[in-house]
Amino acid sequence: MLTIFKNEWKAFLRNKIFLFFSLFFVLLLIITTYFGILQNNQQIINQKSAQDHIRKQWDEMGPYNAHSAAHFGTYAFKPNSILSNLDEGVNAVTGVVLRLEGHKQNDAAFSESSQSLFVSQFGKFKISLLFQFIIPLFLIFFSYNIYTSEITSGRLKLLIVQGNSFRKIIFSKILTILSLAGILLLISILFQLLLNFNQIGVEEILRLSIFFLAYILYYFIIISFTVLISLLLKSNTSALSLTLICWFLWTIFFPKTIGSFTENLTPQSSRFLLQSNMDEDREKGIDGHNPEDMRIKDLEAKVLREYNVDSLSQLPINFSGILLQADEDYGNKVWDKHYGLLYSNLLKQKKHYQISGLINPFASLQNLSMASSGTDLIHHLDFLSKAELYRRKFIKTLNDEYTYGNFKIDGGNLSSRDFFKSINDFNYNGLSIHKIIVQYTLDILFLISWTVILLLLINVKTKKYLINES
Amino acid sequence: MNLNIFTYELKHFYRNKAKLYSYIVFMFLSLYALVNVYNIKEKQQDTINEICHKKEQERLKVIKWYENNQIGPDDKSWVNINDPFWAILYNPTYVIKNPSKLYPMGIGQSEQYGFYKQTKRWSSTYDTDMAEEISNYERLINGSVDFSFLIIFLLPVLYIILTYNINTLERDLDFHKLISIQCIKLKKWVISRLLFYLILILVSISSLIIIVGLASGGFEVIVQILKLIFLSNIYIFSFAIIYYFINIKSKNSSSSSFKMISIWMIFCVIIPGSVHQYANYKYPANFMTDFLDTNRKETYEIFELDNIDLHNLLIELYPSLENLDNFENQKLKDQAIRRSISAIVNQMNIHAANEIEIQNENKNKLIKSSYVYNPVSFVQNLWNSYTETDYYAYKNYRFQVQESITARNELMLKEIWNNKVSDKKTYLKYIQTLKLEN
Repeated sequence: MLTIFKNEWKAFLRNKIFLFFSLFFVLLLIITTYFGILQNNQQIINQKSAQDHIRKQWDEMGPYNAHSAAHFGTYAFKPNSILSNLDEGVNAVTGVVLRLEGHKQNDAAFSESSQSLFVSQFGKFKISLLFQFIIPLFLIFFSYNIYTSEITSGRLKLLIVQGNSFRKIIFSKILTILSLAGILLLISILFQLLLNFNQIGVEEILRLSIFFLAYILYYFIIISFTVLISLLLKSNTSALSLTLICWFLWTIFFPKTIGSFTENLTPQSSRFLLQSNMDEDREKGIDGHNPEDMRIKDLEAKVLREYNVDSLSQLPINFSGILLQADEDYGNKVWDKHYGLLYSNLLKQKKHYQISGLINPFASLQNLSMASSGTDLIHHLDFLSKAELYRRKFIKTLNDEYTYGNFKIDGGNLSSRDFFKSINDFNYNGLSIHKIIVQYTLDILFLISWTVILLLLINVKTKKYLINES
Repeated sequence: MNLNIFTYELKHFYRNKAKLYSYIVFMFLSLYALVNVYNIKEKQQDTINEICHKKEQERLKVIKWYENNQIGPDDKSWVNINDPFWAILYNPTYVIKNPSKLYPMGIGQSEQYGFYKQTKRWSSTYDTDMAEEISNYERLINGSVDFSFLIIFLLPVLYIILTYNINTLERDLDFHKLISIQCIKLKKWVISRLLFYLILILVSISSLIIIVGLASGGFEVIVQILKLIFLSNIYIFSFAIIYYFINIKSKNSSSSSFKMISIWMIFCVIIPGSVHQYANYKYPANFMTDFLDTNRKETYEIFELDNIDLHNLLIELYPSLENLDNFENQKLKDQAIRRSISAIVNQMNIHAANEIEIQNENKNKLIKSSYVYNPVSFVQNLWNSYTETDYYAYKNYRFQVQESITARNELMLKEIWNNKVSDKKTYLKYIQTLKLEN
């Protein structure tokens, strides 16, 4: 098998078209990886500079009313991970700025794709575009005739006469093409390691390994599927046509149609309806600015009892602050109810889409590619959830200061600059891949299943050939 | 064109199941795409109807208050709708981007933007509620199956399936010389065969555009329909010319299909992807800190100003207010000044939003400059402009939102500074004045 593998490589290296495309891809990969990293690092710097800019404004604040500061709020800017340049995932369509303020939860706004004219249907020229769309196509073209060309040239019989089994010949050829794809993947990963050397840790190596394995499995599927079709049809043209149609269905058609289908399967309410329902639920609760509300009365009575006084003026604390926090707590419950459902529906849709890996290995690849690059839906929702948790802590700190603060400035209720400075900034710590990989079990299983089934089918098919031949 | 070859090709097409089914599948897909986007349009329309209903209900509630001599909601004693400030505040306005009549023809960039916005005196065109409608982000990156996608990206592929083995199959089977022997010029023979598929595709697509266009938009949009037909025909014709040379020059069908797919890949994937990457490198995603500064820090600085400075600023921005100083006492004047702050902030927001629009336009200029070698993006954007789903359609929508915010603030200034009192009649007038939204 190793001899055939070596010979295949020698033949490949003698083939000018093969050499040209191999060099072309290596060059393209190096350029794409380099520019991807450059652009990604630039975005990381921009995000950090925006965050610092906003923080500086916060630090310069004061003396100031803590409740006004809650309205003033802060911002969370969605960070790029260092591996985002591999696969941009959902980052181009999600908002990048999230305002965190009192009384309300906002949505991330200003997505990159809303900031210009339409450019590309298939996204930026990132490594993922090259690995997901272009390289598989060329792998198909390299592998569709590996069997038929051997028959027409008469080489197959010669090889079999020399004592090689047909199965070995076919698998050697598959492995040869796969090794080429593996080399391209390794080049890209090595470049990642090289250019981001200082920032690469165990987490990133784990992610890169998943990235590599997912793609190598997918490439094996693509190559062996093409070979299987050519074994079945025994005609170059038919095999190529059918494989191309399958590639097209997998890569372009199914992701769109199944995506739309999964959305229809778990429909989401419109933003307007969601907001109306949330407003309605919130109105039922305590309005910090509404002194006539019954709930306020209850809270008022409770606090008076607690402090053992008869009127609000006798309280040693600022009752408005308690009201505001109570309103926040209720608002948080409302948010958890509605956004909890929204997020769980989004994850349900994702799960349904993952099932499509059964008929479309590309869906599994796409999911694992985004997950390993930290740009999938789960990572995005994690950012939103952590930002919301920070917002709650941030507003509670301000409300507590407003309630219990020992105000000495101007005899009013202004808090000191030091207090504002003492509040930590939102610092997003991304998800660790080992925490979420379990959510990608289906994708991993499907890729492995496709691989095993194709291995078995080719095995059977090549066995049959020998029997027939003999 | 040789009619015999043409009719022979019809027979060949009919008998070749791969080609026939590909064509039928594509036509079904086109219908599916049209229905799919039509459903999205209907869903949008439902939301718009809900909004209009809610708005009407809220206005009716206020009108009832006037009729019952009630000055506001029971639980908000400080509200007085006889005061124009509250009357305008209690006059909800929404700016809506109605789906265009040709929306089913192309969803364009519409999924990246919101299509309704409640405008308040503090609103701006970059508020977070201008975000896109709720969608699964992972679905958004794959996009929807819409008609424009089928025409721009899939139709060339269908054309490849239909034509990749014209002339090359004969070469595969080694009887291509027979064609020349039969006294037929090879190029003429290839052109005649190709023309059959070209005409088949163009007629099918043009018919679909006409039928669906007229059904959804009527004769009002006939010009846009004709433009779409012209654009799609030119587009496919351009691919057909390139593919013709490939058919002529290729030595076998594998080689021709490889070349054709590569051309498709270069024009539809690689060039747009590279331009996208470069444009993003040159103009990275904007975190809009300048706008955030205006919207927050500078707004708070305005709040910090004393009433005299605020008054001066107001006069500077709205000189017509200078002669309107008819308040009974200083307290009322101060109240009017504080209530006018939103009009100052609105001017600041307009300025900040314009800066963003300029930055976006610079990126757009870069994208447009790539059209010479990036024709697919050009065609897609032109198509989107015909279906009113491109960036500029939503930029115009943002302008309408801004117009509505400005109208609200200016109305408020006019009424407050003229010491007006509002009643049912004036409230109805306010509704008319602010009725920019539809």
